[in-house]
Amino acid sequence: MRFDLYLVGVGGQGVLTIGEVLVEAARLEGIHVNYYPTEGMAQRGGFVKAQIRFGREIVGPNIPEKGADLVFAVEVSEALRAVRYVKPDGDFLLYAHVWQPTAVMLGKAGYPELGQVCSEVESAGARMVVLDPERLPELDGTAIPYNLYTLGAAVGCTNLGKLFPPGGIQQAIRERRPKDAVRNVLAFEAGIQVGQ
Amino acid sequence: MEKKILNGNEALALGALRAGVKVITGYPGTPSTRALASLLAMNLPDRHVEWSTNEKVALEIATGASWAGQRALCTMKMSGLNVAYDSLISIAHSGCIGGLVIYVADDPGVSAGMAEQDSRGFAYMSDLPMLDPASPAEAYRQVQEAFELSEQIGSPVFIRMVTAIANSKTLVEVEEAGPALVREPVLVNDIQRFTKAGSAIAMGQHREVIARLKRARRIIQERGLNPLALSAQAGGLGIIASGVVSSYLDECLDLLVPHGFLPDEVSILKVAAVNPIPVEEIQALLMHVDTILVLEELEPYLEKEVYVQAYRSGVHHRIIGKLDSFFSRVGEYGVREVTQGIAEGLGLSIPLELFEGRAAETLAAARPITLCAGCPHRGTFMAINQALRKLRYKKNDVMVTGDIGCTILGMNPPFSTVWNEISMGASVALAQGFVHAGVKTPVIATIGDSTFFHAGIPGLINAIQHQVDLTLIIMDNGWTAMTGMQVNPGTASDFQKPHDQSVDIARVVPGLGVEHFFTVDPFDYKGSTAVIQQALGKPGVKVILARRECAIQTQRRGETQAKAVVDMQKCALCKLCINLTGCPALSIQDGAFLIDLSLCNGCGLCVETCNLDALRVEVLA
Repeated sequence: MRFDLYLVGVGGQGVLTIGEVLVEAARLEGIHVNYYPTEGMAQRGGFVKAQIRFGREIVGPNIPEKGADLVFAVEVSEALRAVRYVKPDGDFLLYAHVWQPTAVMLGKAGYPELGQVCSEVESAGARMVVLDPERLPELDGTAIPYNLYTLGAAVGCTNLGKLFPPGGIQQAIRERRPKDAVRNVLAFEAGIQVGQ
Repeated sequence: MEKKILNGNEALALGALRAGVKVITGYPGTPSTRALASLLAMNLPDRHVEWSTNEKVALEIATGASWAGQRALCTMKMSGLNVAYDSLISIAHSGCIGGLVIYVADDPGVSAGMAEQDSRGFAYMSDLPMLDPASPAEAYRQVQEAFELSEQIGSPVFIRMVTAIANSKTLVEVEEAGPALVREPVLVNDIQRFTKAGSAIAMGQHREVIARLKRARRIIQERGLNPLALSAQAGGLGIIASGVVSSYLDECLDLLVPHGFLPDEVSILKVAAVNPIPVEEIQALLMHVDTILVLEELEPYLEKEVYVQAYRSGVHHRIIGKLDSFFSRVGEYGVREVTQGIAEGLGLSIPLELFEGRAAETLAAARPITLCAGCPHRGTFMAINQALRKLRYKKNDVMVTGDIGCTILGMNPPFSTVWNEISMGASVALAQGFVHAGVKTPVIATIGDSTFFHAGIPGLINAIQHQVDLTLIIMDNGWTAMTGMQVNPGTASDFQKPHDQSVDIARVVPGLGVEHFFTVDPFDYKGSTAVIQQALGKPGVKVILARRECAIQTQRRGETQAKAVVDMQKCALCKLCINLTGCPALSIQDGAFLIDLSLCNGCGLCVETCNLDALRVEVLA
């Protein structure tokens, strides 16, 4: 199965962690994968994107416009940069975190409304799923990592779940940071449930 | 055999190890950095791996090792090749003894800044073979081919990768790396080969370099590095695809099936060895097909050769590429370009909107990159701005030249201090031109530590010799930070390799004869401001060393000892601190002033900006 995944967010949100987890999961499941993260200028607070192409042994690293089966976004404004890439019948999953750039905080620049993002995605013909940060579950009084929660939701409600049985991703999550395995797998599983 | 997840850089590094490389040198530069960094992280006892002062130095070291019979690898980004090129032409004409591979990374589409250049052009100018892998797996294999080829023909060989390959991770089958080749070093005294003095020597070497490239052509052909697949029936479209672009072909041909494409209509030449250009394969393709499509990013090097070969073969095919303005010389190629090119060549019509997504990004908030929280450069830019204000200069009165690295972030708000950026070390000499042009206001140059060592010192020497009225501010954070924390000559001894020694800028600059030399702590806002003010009032060359270690590094080592604290009784939410520092740790959310303690290192610069005494630094217990 061929599946193209376009990830966007802001440096520090754990977007590249999701990419690394999925690449490892693909290795475990024997799925061909090409993972192309942005690097270099992607410091904390800067725009980050990553492209993952599953299912072709030889594949160009860049996903074409209207080519992504799934867009995975974890920041409201940055989600807009990915609208170009979603397939007309694809999925657009947004964890609606707001990370205001300094100019916005100072009142010198505007920031898009969530509704605008939804209507853009709708106009692009994709299915929009929004996760509300207010409803992010807690464990022992602190919020669970929302990047893995959102990944769980992607497995629960999009075709990413058909590509990957949850077991491989769980194993990849556990092995990545054994110390935080319980918390991280729980975040992923909570996401799956919300997604379903 | 083992399957590993590797990006192009890492695959190239492991391939070089497998080839028995002994000496590895380079200078950091996105997207090439990871190749050498991954080897350095392995602590390889039987190889010499180093970050060199600059790319020219790196290449000369690698060449010395090669001339002594060892295999050597030199890594750099495309801008670095420009620096190394003076030596490279001479080295190319002399040839090499041990295998010498030069890895250069190009950045079509410009993911990391700097001029969008096509380094293949350098291979043509120097008559050096160049391989252009289309995947990390090819990078792993081709670097080994490159070492073999280099020793077979006695010439350095280029490996070029683009960002999309250098940074793409995929599963690569790798063998056990094994040890470095065990070779006794040789000393070959042959001035005909290794000097340039006199026309007989120089022209003889020119003949040799051409002959070596000819031998390379034969070997590359025998190894089938540029596979040509002709269609069963003559006619149809011939596709020539270079490097990364060939990795899109299968997908695009599949895409065209519903639009009337028949698989046996195309013949394909995949060009992995871009120099020497595979002219015999191009001729065979020209004789077989009716139309040619050339798919190469950036410059039309292959395409121009296709025109030449078409003329020589007496065919008048349509050639689709850049010279007919079908494709652009700017940016990457992807599914869109490749599919449209093939459709054009086959006369298929595909709807344009197939690849035109909805342009929603215009609604997104701009997110200019800025300095990290706690970055010492913040204090320096604030102090420059404050010193100029105190001297009653208006914005845009005073030229502040900029340089490569994190220090260029001074160009962005809220600082808007730095005006320009050329290349490593250029700030110092560029500033001198402004002075000689007759600019009456002070001229300031800014540069980082690694950049100063790399190519800033000759510019400073020139300023000293000609006693130019300028102020150079060296922003020394102890690391080559922008590319992800590499060691440079000025990095503290504790973090150098064992036996390596730190070079102290505070001894270098006075040693050159700079009389007005000052050292400031960028976290001491008032003190730094006063020193800059003082320096701007003096004649001749003034150098200010603004020195404090990169905040990311001190945080990683857990050395953060203080945090900023706000007194909400006094804070009026005026945002002045955010306005002046642009610090990512400061924000106002839902009417409350927040300090992100996971980012704050207590630098205290925000405290200096507050008129209401609402901020203070608290030392951690």
